[in-house]
Amino acid sequence: MNLRIIAVDFVYNIKAWMRSRGTVFWSLLFPVMLILLFGAIFSGLGEAKYTLYVQDLDDTSMSHMLIDMIKKTGIVDVKNVSTDKPITDYIKERNIKNLLVIPSGYQEIVNGSFMDDSVVVNITYYYDPAEQQTNQVLDNVISNIIHGLNMRLTNSRSIINVKHESTITEEYGFIDFFIPGMIGFTIMQQSIYGSIERNTKYRKDGILRKLQTTPITRYEWILAKMLFMLFLAFISTTVSITVGVLAFGVKVNINLLSIIVIVATSFLFSGVGMIIGRFVKEEETADMAAGAISFPMMFLAGTFFAVDAMPPILQGIARVLPLYYVNEGLRSSMIYSNESPAILDAVIVLVFACVFFVLGVLVTRWKED
Amino acid sequence: MIQKRFKCPGCSEIVTFTGNPGDSKIEPCPSCGMNAQVRFVIPQDNVNENAIEVTNLTKVYGDVVAVDNISFNVKKGEIFAFLGPNGAGKTTTVEIIESIREPTSGTVKILGRDVSKQFNEVKELIGILPQEFHSFERLTVRETLRYFSTLYKRHADIDDIIEMMDLTEHANKLYRNLSGGLKQRVGVALALVNDPEIVFLDEPTTGLDPRARREVWSVISGLRRRGKTVFLTTHYMEEAEYLADHIAIIHKGRIIAEGSLEELISKHGGDVTMRVMGCKDIITAEEILTDKGFKVIKGVNSDLSVKIPYKELVLEILSDLRHACIEYDNIDIRRSNLEEVFLNLTGSRLSEEGGEN
Repeated sequence: MNLRIIAVDFVYNIKAWMRSRGTVFWSLLFPVMLILLFGAIFSGLGEAKYTLYVQDLDDTSMSHMLIDMIKKTGIVDVKNVSTDKPITDYIKERNIKNLLVIPSGYQEIVNGSFMDDSVVVNITYYYDPAEQQTNQVLDNVISNIIHGLNMRLTNSRSIINVKHESTITEEYGFIDFFIPGMIGFTIMQQSIYGSIERNTKYRKDGILRKLQTTPITRYEWILAKMLFMLFLAFISTTVSITVGVLAFGVKVNINLLSIIVIVATSFLFSGVGMIIGRFVKEEETADMAAGAISFPMMFLAGTFFAVDAMPPILQGIARVLPLYYVNEGLRSSMIYSNESPAILDAVIVLVFACVFFVLGVLVTRWKED
Repeated sequence: MIQKRFKCPGCSEIVTFTGNPGDSKIEPCPSCGMNAQVRFVIPQDNVNENAIEVTNLTKVYGDVVAVDNISFNVKKGEIFAFLGPNGAGKTTTVEIIESIREPTSGTVKILGRDVSKQFNEVKELIGILPQEFHSFERLTVRETLRYFSTLYKRHADIDDIIEMMDLTEHANKLYRNLSGGLKQRVGVALALVNDPEIVFLDEPTTGLDPRARREVWSVISGLRRRGKTVFLTTHYMEEAEYLADHIAIIHKGRIIAEGSLEELISKHGGDVTMRVMGCKDIITAEEILTDKGFKVIKGVNSDLSVKIPYKELVLEILSDLRHACIEYDNIDIRRSNLEEVFLNLTGSRLSEEGGEN
């Protein structure tokens, strides 16, 4: 064994690697980003807070005391909902997933329980079954507080009960949550990597130079590729839905809003791919750059688990990521049939799509310097 | 009457034939006697018409002048070789002509049209094979040809192209599964889908083995027979010698010599070298040749070489040796070639990889 050859080979490998600055940058930045991201999610960088909407129909000192007790746990962010509308309207319009309703007459019933030991008051906890982790935490918090109150009031009997209601009329499981997330993620991956291949590999192989000398224009070519990306998006959506329906009995509503979100998603991430492909010219480096953008986005934007379960900082980040609105829009339109939030999400995705696609088209060049 | 030059595949001698446009005849090589078929297909009215006119072309990148004020014309129906080492400015020049790059200054006209203003018209008239071109890996040869054909208004018959490029048995194979030589043939075929008048081939044989290279040469020769103008960039001397009617040598962004092979050799090449092998009386032979004013170089195995300014002197030398009763095994006469032209012009040789040494 010739150690000198091995040493020379080793040194030249390092030299070659270091000469590709992009590769070095993304090779190092990508793991750092993932470590920070998952560290934040799983080791509690910033305490996780869960949002609980409360509609206090009683508005008495005793109902205020209950709300204060929930706030004092420190892990629940209580948001009050006015009492002028039926709770079902709020749930639909504002896409509320966790809500506590304190009924009118709560204080009166509790006080009356000292005279009549048969009276009981029900407070209602509305929850989204798809968000299991959040439900579990909030249900524990509410149940423990109510248990403590019951013990203080009677030392034995339960005067206050917690009634559980789903925020949605049908029961949904994790798979209902997951399938729209996977559809959004798959379209994102296809579009970004497809665009990158066309802008880096085709450039390296001389295909773009060849096309430039043919009568096809840059716009015609991009449009043709977008049609193909849309075809792929609908194929992958169909496959995901079919598997969901056949294997798990998922109920999916295909409607105009979901189609708009799918089309806009395809344009949006093709634009992102074009921008990456323009500025990171080596194919390998561009792939790494795409991974560094799409993988953290996949975890942060609620593809596999609810954004509400993440620390507040990460929730804030999620809300500036386009994939978050894609996921939410697809869930609201395809699964939960919540039209109002779906429209808002679709509009946001459309705006993102316009910005990124137009930028992508503008920066995509065939001419060499 | 027009003249046609060939490098004889038997003895590598450059031989010249004369004939009328449209003639096709079999002629023996005057040096070795090997028969070669000669076709004179260049239409007479095209001979003096320019297909490409490049005037004062310059391309500057920052402080680097990649192309330095070059001018040249390419005549219709000829194979024009743009010869030079890597980094000389060949690809930059051809890509400016193809309008892939913008020139810093200068003009390019293709078939009388200014490419900076009328490139959309020009696109229909040209076909290109870019440098290091790789087509879509998962399309078959026929599908690839169809794809590119649909981009043009003018169409050549795909089956004709497949047949002409000898791709019939590979037409339904995926591009990714083809050998390097076949891929280059497909690349040339793609440059013909719009039946162009001018075909640009940028380093079409780089990286190919000698056999595959000869196959591509045969395809390029075929283009000339079909009356196409071919603009060929290459760093292979042999390729330019074998194929080109007109050669421009580019070095460090400038054209340092231009003309037919004959013209370049007669202007910038060296003398003819005559080698007498297995000479039975080398001392007397050396004396005779030195007395006649030749510089004699002794080789191994009783060989000696002399440089002679023109090949007619060969007969005179052989006659002198016969009169002195000097016997020998064999003689070899080598004329100057492009390699020597390049060496004389630049002081360096072109390596197989296209570098200078």
